[in-house]
Amino acid sequence: MARDPRDPSGLSHPVSRRAFLAVAGGGVLLAACGKGGGGAGSNAAAGPPLASPQNPVLWPLTEDNQPIADGLEPEKNAVLKIYNWADYIYKKVAVDDFQKKYKKYNVKVEISSFNTMDEAIAKLRTGQVPFDIFFPTYDRVGKLIQAKLLRPLNHTYIPNISQVWPVFKNPFYDQQWRFSVPYTVYTTGVAWRVDKVKKDIAGMANPYEALWDADYRGKIAILDDYREAISMALLKNGATDLNTGDPKLIDQAKQDLLTMAKTVKPLVNTKGYVDLPEARTWLTQAWSGDMNNAQYYMPKGQSPEVIRYWYPPDGKGTVNNDLICVVKGGKSPVLAHHFLNYMLDFDPAMENFGWNGYQPPQTKADPKSLVADEYIPKNLSTTVVLPEYFDKGFRQLELSPAVDSLWNAAWQQFKAGA
Amino acid sequence: MSSTVQAPAPAEAGQPPEARAARTPAGSWWRNPWRKPRILETVTWLYLAWSILPVAIAVWFSFNAGRSRSTWQGFSMRWYWGDQALSVWHDPELHRALFHSLRLAAVTTLIAVPIGVAFAIGLDRWRGRLAQGFSFQVLLAFVTPEIILAVALLFLITNLLDFIHLGTVGQVLGLVTFQLSYPVIICRARLLSIGSHYEEAAMDLGASPAQALRRVLLPLLSPAIFASAVLVFADVIDNFVIARYLSSDAATEPMTVKIYNSARAAPTPALNALATLMLLSSLVAVVLGFLVYRRLTRGERRAAGAGAVGDFAGNL
Amino acid sequence: MVAQAARRRRRTGRAGGGVWYPRWFWPAFALPGVLWLAVLFVLPLYTVLSIAFGTIDPLFRNPLPTWNPVQWDTTAVRTVLERTFGDDAYLGPAFLRTFVYVLCASVLCLVIAYPVAYFVARYGGRRKGLFLVLLIAPFWISYMMRLLAWVNLLQTDGWVNRALTATGLAGQPINWLDGRPVTVVLGLVYGYIPYMTLPLFASLDRVDPSLLEASRDLGASRLRTFLRVTLPLSRHAILAGMVIVTLPMFGDYFTNDLLSGSPGTAMLGNLVNDAIGTPGQGTQGAALVVLLMTMLVLPMLYYVRSTARATREGRA
Repeated sequence: MARDPRDPSGLSHPVSRRAFLAVAGGGVLLAACGKGGGGAGSNAAAGPPLASPQNPVLWPLTEDNQPIADGLEPEKNAVLKIYNWADYIYKKVAVDDFQKKYKKYNVKVEISSFNTMDEAIAKLRTGQVPFDIFFPTYDRVGKLIQAKLLRPLNHTYIPNISQVWPVFKNPFYDQQWRFSVPYTVYTTGVAWRVDKVKKDIAGMANPYEALWDADYRGKIAILDDYREAISMALLKNGATDLNTGDPKLIDQAKQDLLTMAKTVKPLVNTKGYVDLPEARTWLTQAWSGDMNNAQYYMPKGQSPEVIRYWYPPDGKGTVNNDLICVVKGGKSPVLAHHFLNYMLDFDPAMENFGWNGYQPPQTKADPKSLVADEYIPKNLSTTVVLPEYFDKGFRQLELSPAVDSLWNAAWQQFKAGA
Repeated sequence: MSSTVQAPAPAEAGQPPEARAARTPAGSWWRNPWRKPRILETVTWLYLAWSILPVAIAVWFSFNAGRSRSTWQGFSMRWYWGDQALSVWHDPELHRALFHSLRLAAVTTLIAVPIGVAFAIGLDRWRGRLAQGFSFQVLLAFVTPEIILAVALLFLITNLLDFIHLGTVGQVLGLVTFQLSYPVIICRARLLSIGSHYEEAAMDLGASPAQALRRVLLPLLSPAIFASAVLVFADVIDNFVIARYLSSDAATEPMTVKIYNSARAAPTPALNALATLMLLSSLVAVVLGFLVYRRLTRGERRAAGAGAVGDFAGNL
Repeated sequence: MVAQAARRRRRTGRAGGGVWYPRWFWPAFALPGVLWLAVLFVLPLYTVLSIAFGTIDPLFRNPLPTWNPVQWDTTAVRTVLERTFGDDAYLGPAFLRTFVYVLCASVLCLVIAYPVAYFVARYGGRRKGLFLVLLIAPFWISYMMRLLAWVNLLQTDGWVNRALTATGLAGQPINWLDGRPVTVVLGLVYGYIPYMTLPLFASLDRVDPSLLEASRDLGASRLRTFLRVTLPLSRHAILAGMVIVTLPMFGDYFTNDLLSGSPGTAMLGNLVNDAIGTPGQGTQGAALVVLLMTMLVLPMLYYVRSTARATREGRA
């Protein structure tokens, strides 16, 4: 049955057809009212709070969604179900080592993966898949919390929070870290191969423009993510608000993307970490972690030395972090808390980093020493994420539905190959 | 059937121009109406090579010792069970997918074939407009593009039929719906050629309708039943769109979805190995089905020169 | 005669031998199938309509159906129609592109499949069984695997490029997978051509060779025999084959996904798939599905009617 968004309990009741029609009818009326009155940004009062650095949100704890009690024993013989992006967590760390550490509880760890955040959220909402741990992005965590899909954390189980950057003890999207801990931090920039691309990308006045360079037609890729792609076009045009609802700016970004599609014929995917090493692309928009990971995908006999990554040195680029949360419907909440604590510990976090290339915000891991300790090769030292970036950089925040529709429409036009 | 009659050589003057031209060697080869169809034969062999070679190469590379899927680096079974992390045997994701595909195929066949056969019998014997209407519906289900059905079922299950969960149950329901038309169409074709006189003869000899059905009609129909079972099984193993839309988590993703996901990321030959195993499962099903079919139709070879295979194909 | 009399007796409830079929006997067989299709085929299609004319949940932006036609909200449908046919139309090019690709692919399928089917049917001889096995093989080799095989071969360092550069046909390796329409069209042809070869083969196989010999004896050249005897006799199979091949192609999205990384070749199926996956665009996805079905309903009905007619006449 359709979940009535006004229903605070978030449970689905078996509804009679008459009630169904009434709700549906009501829904139409509501939607009609919303459409008439709402404009960009005016949903702040009517809809859920949209978190931003200027507008931090403290999520309330409700009666029916309380954290677990203190001092509970982890569940025995449980199967801990993790739901994560494909290939985003090191199996050895998450499964083998964790199982070894908690052997006396005879825990088994299972990793399921999803391809897009929307797909994952849709599956979580059906309530039919009892995952314990989920890795959302912070622009969706608000919705998840309001839909009561996440369990508030009991901090006594997670002392390792002291090992991460202090900012995460009170992030704007989840003050007092009531529902989440950080997983990885990353930036979005431009990556290229020096053996194929002779231009000095880093030395350009506006390196984003390199992605529009017709000289490299057919050898350019951008990320298959509407926020990332449109943000990049916005940054190229000098905008600083990556959450803008200004139709003119969005339209300009869209036109730029359409021009790019015609002149450059870019690939649109998220496998830059394979394409660039295999020289299927020479120049690509990329996440910092992916480029770090790319060194392992170089074909035999080729050195990863040729890869370079550019991010605005003044820190004014796209910066993000991913989260780990405990799912409300999971069967093993205590173990889930232990898992979060485990992932915040220095050794597992760094071992995971060594495998997936995405930097964890560990205070002990001095960004300057990451290169010296060979977690990151010298030619990719620009992929290191510094805490300062979070102050100066731009974040991709949750958009209001009206603004989101504008962004989605622009992306739809680009993807339709118009 | 090729004709082996040799026509007499064309006569001399007074014949149409083509016969006169036929006297030159090349011309006579081209003009000979009874010549062997070399061009057609070449085209056919080229087509078959184009059709099957890529798959053969993919199967071949599943035995590659290295990570590449286009550079041969030696023979090894590493991607099947050798490699500790990535082989089909060791990677739990991959062999979960294998078993899930087989499970979906078996369950769907077991449900779709009986319902479909009964539907075919009912539609064939039941006269009237209503029957024609339902016939229509079956054929409509047959030609509907899969994505339409998958999207429709997804909406139905998540909005109205909430008690049905996405995942194996949802997938089976969707797959049976998609495959239901195959047994119906195949069995109806066979029923048409059987006719109703055998049953009538049985009933004249004293059998009840149920007995006539069980002991006369069903055995006569069994080749078509088997052919459709085989087709449904192989088709479900191959199914992608419906299985993907109606899956819940990674445990309910069949092999086709795994191949699709991995092919878009960083595939290793383990993918080829998985696809080869998929091929084997279908092959086993088809061969078994064919052998059973051959046994059942011992008494009635029809397409001369093609044997049971032709019959089997004709049923498809 | 005997059959007709028996049927008449059955309807009135009396038959020779004192056995009669109750009126509900045959419909009862069809009942499970009818119910299944009603719930899982007809109802989902109505659900799609309800969602296309439905609303969007304000929190999660997923689509909600509006069951009561009186309350249907036409926003999504109007948006889709505007974006397809209006001034600002950007979905329109994708529609057009899909039509062009599907048309090219279907025609290519026919052009390639016909000679092959003709050869195997008429000149197969003793090897007909072997040819049939090879022709049927793609049916149970998964579509996904065949596509995967081609993705391997079309890589920059894959065998196709190696062959082309080795024989000098191409100066340097061509990047086949970077969004070329040719790759997508050929991929579609490769994937769906088996659905064309078998019906064509079945039909050509049934052509009585004596008809062709008669035509030859009456003085027609090979070409005229083909045009005036063989082609008309296989007309139904050609149309059936075209329909069976064309309809699924309209909903295909994974061929484009796997063989092209660029949005420049996006097809209708991709539009639907993207819209369903994007929060807030679910109603548009459903509207696209409704539009797709409206476009295809005429060819579908045509196929269904002609097949039903052919079945009744015992030809299918």
